[in-house]
Amino acid sequence: MRYIFVIFSLVLLTFSAGLAQVDTLGVDSILLNIAPPSPISNLTVYDKANDHGHALILEWTPSPDDGAGMNTVMLYEIFRSESPDSPFVNVGSVPLGNSRYDNIGILEKESRDYIPDNTDLYYRVDAVTINPEVRASSEVFGPVRSYSNWFHRGRVPVLLAVLIFGGLMMYFVTVARKGAELYVRPLAGISAVDDAIGRATEMGRPILYIFGLGTADMISTIASFTILSRVAKQVAEYQTQLIVPCYDPIVMTVAQEVVKSSYLDAGHPDAYNDDMVFYITTNQFAYVAAVNGIMLRELPATNIYMGKFYAESLILAETGAVAGSIQIAGTDEVGQLPFFIIACDYTLIGEELYAASAYLGREPIMLGSLKAQDYAKAAVIILSILGIIAANFGLTAFTNIFKVLD
Amino acid sequence: MNAFTPPLALALVDIGRVISLVLIAGGLLWLLIRAIKLKEVERRVIFLFIFISVAAPILFPTVFKEKATPIVKAVFDKIESLPPGSKVLLSYDFDPAMAPEVQPMADAFSRHCLVKGHKIVYMCLFATGQGQFTRTMENVIRPEFPEKIDGVDYVNIGYKAGNEGVLNVIISDFKKMFPTDVNGVPYDSVEVFKGIRSCKDLDLIISIGGGRPGIKEWVLFVGDPGDVPIATGVAAVVAPQLYPYYPKQLLGLLGGIKGAAEYESELVIHYPRFKDSPTPALLMMGPQTLAHIVIMAFIIIGNVLFIQGRRKEGKQ
Amino acid sequence: MKRSTLILMGLVVIVFALSWIFKAISFHGVEEHYVLQGFLVTLAAFLTLSIMSFLYRDNPFYKFAEHLFVGISAAFWMSMGFWSTIVGNLIPRLSEGLSNFFKVHYIPGDYNIFFYIPVILGILLLMRLSRNYGWISRWSLAFIVGTTAGLNFIRYLRSDFINQVSATYVPLLVDWQGIGHFFSNLSLSASGQFIMMLANWVIFLGVMCGIIYFFFSKEHTGMFGRASRVGIWILMITFGASFGYTVMGRISLLVGRITFLFRDWMGLNI
Repeated sequence: MRYIFVIFSLVLLTFSAGLAQVDTLGVDSILLNIAPPSPISNLTVYDKANDHGHALILEWTPSPDDGAGMNTVMLYEIFRSESPDSPFVNVGSVPLGNSRYDNIGILEKESRDYIPDNTDLYYRVDAVTINPEVRASSEVFGPVRSYSNWFHRGRVPVLLAVLIFGGLMMYFVTVARKGAELYVRPLAGISAVDDAIGRATEMGRPILYIFGLGTADMISTIASFTILSRVAKQVAEYQTQLIVPCYDPIVMTVAQEVVKSSYLDAGHPDAYNDDMVFYITTNQFAYVAAVNGIMLRELPATNIYMGKFYAESLILAETGAVAGSIQIAGTDEVGQLPFFIIACDYTLIGEELYAASAYLGREPIMLGSLKAQDYAKAAVIILSILGIIAANFGLTAFTNIFKVLD
Repeated sequence: MNAFTPPLALALVDIGRVISLVLIAGGLLWLLIRAIKLKEVERRVIFLFIFISVAAPILFPTVFKEKATPIVKAVFDKIESLPPGSKVLLSYDFDPAMAPEVQPMADAFSRHCLVKGHKIVYMCLFATGQGQFTRTMENVIRPEFPEKIDGVDYVNIGYKAGNEGVLNVIISDFKKMFPTDVNGVPYDSVEVFKGIRSCKDLDLIISIGGGRPGIKEWVLFVGDPGDVPIATGVAAVVAPQLYPYYPKQLLGLLGGIKGAAEYESELVIHYPRFKDSPTPALLMMGPQTLAHIVIMAFIIIGNVLFIQGRRKEGKQ
Repeated sequence: MKRSTLILMGLVVIVFALSWIFKAISFHGVEEHYVLQGFLVTLAAFLTLSIMSFLYRDNPFYKFAEHLFVGISAAFWMSMGFWSTIVGNLIPRLSEGLSNFFKVHYIPGDYNIFFYIPVILGILLLMRLSRNYGWISRWSLAFIVGTTAGLNFIRYLRSDFINQVSATYVPLLVDWQGIGHFFSNLSLSASGQFIMMLANWVIFLGVMCGIIYFFFSKEHTGMFGRASRVGIWILMITFGASFGYTVMGRISLLVGRITFLFRDWMGLNI
């Protein structure tokens, strides 16, 4: 039985090898018998616009054997050289059906993928079949050069927006500096700040001012500095206690300067103490835990939240409500506004925080920029109406103005 | 709970569900009566209600069927449509505080990409993201995909400080920011990085998180300038702010645990091999649903209290 | 200290110790460092319950957990800042010797003398600690604020302004083929003509009225005031939706914590 099994296995193995041989022979004969395809035509190569250089674009008309004719083209290989006589190097490939290749080089000079700027280059595109040896090369195109562009035409809408908005800002800042009275509508939260400070003074309890989790470069934190300046000045005049726990060390340093200047302006520099403005930690919930502890131990009469807040907003506002404080909040963090609106007595919504800082500070730069923003909003309304009309009547020329390319 | 759970245990779970529902319904009725009578309710009672409405469905598991909404399906379909071997970047931009919501999404994305045979680049913009990736490694990659090789099928390039500065660099040059992976293997030696010079060479970027830096920075610094497809899975609190970016700047969005549950459900439908894999998001939807119903009841009771109060003031 | 407080603290210590013992036993044979693992899980549960005890009222356990959290997080971020920024980003580009000392991969060819500028700016920022020379730190601050503004200016203008404005260019009459066609194909399907038109009108009116609300140069009276009122209504509806989403998020976090307490700490099979 054993011997029958061995003989049977040997026969089976020989038969399989024979079949494989036949199969390979069949496939090999097919590969050898492929006729060279027709080459591509109309090869053009040009510099990629709106970039920092080191990039060229190739376009061509696909080979007639791509999806038609003999239907043997499988891919296109792209070759490049620095002269028509020196060896061409393969720089990439695209599958069949394509008629464009972006040859984007990297900046490392030693790499094969580096494309030198302002250097004559020559390109060739091969239409390749399933047998890589069987191919048809196009005519060499060149010389062509890549170069960097100083101006990015695709970003013209951004440039226009910058010029228009910047121009409006400069105009209104100039007007404000000349002493013109720029009207800002009253905001409920702002007048409440004065009342809240008065309340704290009467009750003999401190005022807690919180910047939130913003860093010194954020607009909301910068606006908050202006509001703190106003609050600190009044606090200095009324001789009330001020507590400013900080999340960010840089914000703390700026806040200390702001409060110190305010005390100086109010004529009470000796009343200022560095311990009023202190750093806690740069961990979100650890900061919240510490501020909650301060609220419940110090029992401030007024909590002012102005700046950038995240998930801790409701925890802070809720604890403040438990402590019985009057709460005034302002943030541009849209996700946290619902919590402040619910838990606080007054809330400055989004841009109202920036308007509040302009209103309180009355600095020409702030007032001027606020006015410029209002005009920009008016422009947005007009453009939106025009855009909607254009979209409804299929006027793509207008809507395409706002496409920013890269 | 599965087909092998003894009948007694199933019966106890059903009894537990009924008792907790009766308890909650009775409590809400009591609250409503107090509201009509204008009696104040201690806030600790509210906390207790929330605790029971969350704890009961955890102790007596309740799983609801989920159907993927178009905004979630868009992400699923994108990963599904990419040919095997596509390059996908998963950015773990979250800390342990956000993990209950977004870790299930991160695990689901990893499962989907690995089963499709995509090459995954793992990175973090949060320092604590690395720890969260380790959980995916231990809970998903090692047990469910032991055949996948580090460096060949996926690579972990770790965390780099710099927030938007990191994105500003990798939009044009990956190697400059990440010369090696976390194990010190040089960039050029990692097979996953073959053909990737910058983010523009990626087929898909998924940012998982909700803080800063996060998806907004990815859209601003990579998606828009580099024209790279971007999807995201974010904590619920951030999701509403991202809807304006959908669908032009974001191809899809998973918002909170609901989005994660929908994605897990879609994954199980398309890949039955994941039927026995952990589905934490689907499990969390039970307590989520009951807690939401209780909160809606509180809002109604609160409004009843408010209206009663106004009526009383009017009479006085 | 009151007697009841002492008894409570004693009970907590006993429960902590028992939990540690039982968790260590449960990890024995499964984890290599089972005693440590038992301690860590017990500590995590203790801290979770301590923080949650704040819901009842402020107490020493909450204070302990709070101070522990603040201290550890401050130290963590300080060391993280040093190891990820200075050791992770700067040293590999500046010095091979220091890279070897800190056991980080040195990046040859990346050396650039300009990398010393952020080092100098960082030192200038630390001058804030000095009373007399603290003003020098303003240069670093100015650099930080200015660079971030410049870096973000174009990007925000493109992504958050121009792209958003062009996204409002929606057709108000979708697939319009006459009033007869509109009423005959009326349906509540999400992709139907009616719903799509309604959605586009809501976007259009919501954006217009929302922008009008944030107009500060004019008093909100008359037609302007009415449009502003519509705007604030749209905003409040949005905030309500956002609130609902956030409630979902917060409940998810609570579910995560309670699952940890039940499954990982108490060992319930859920």
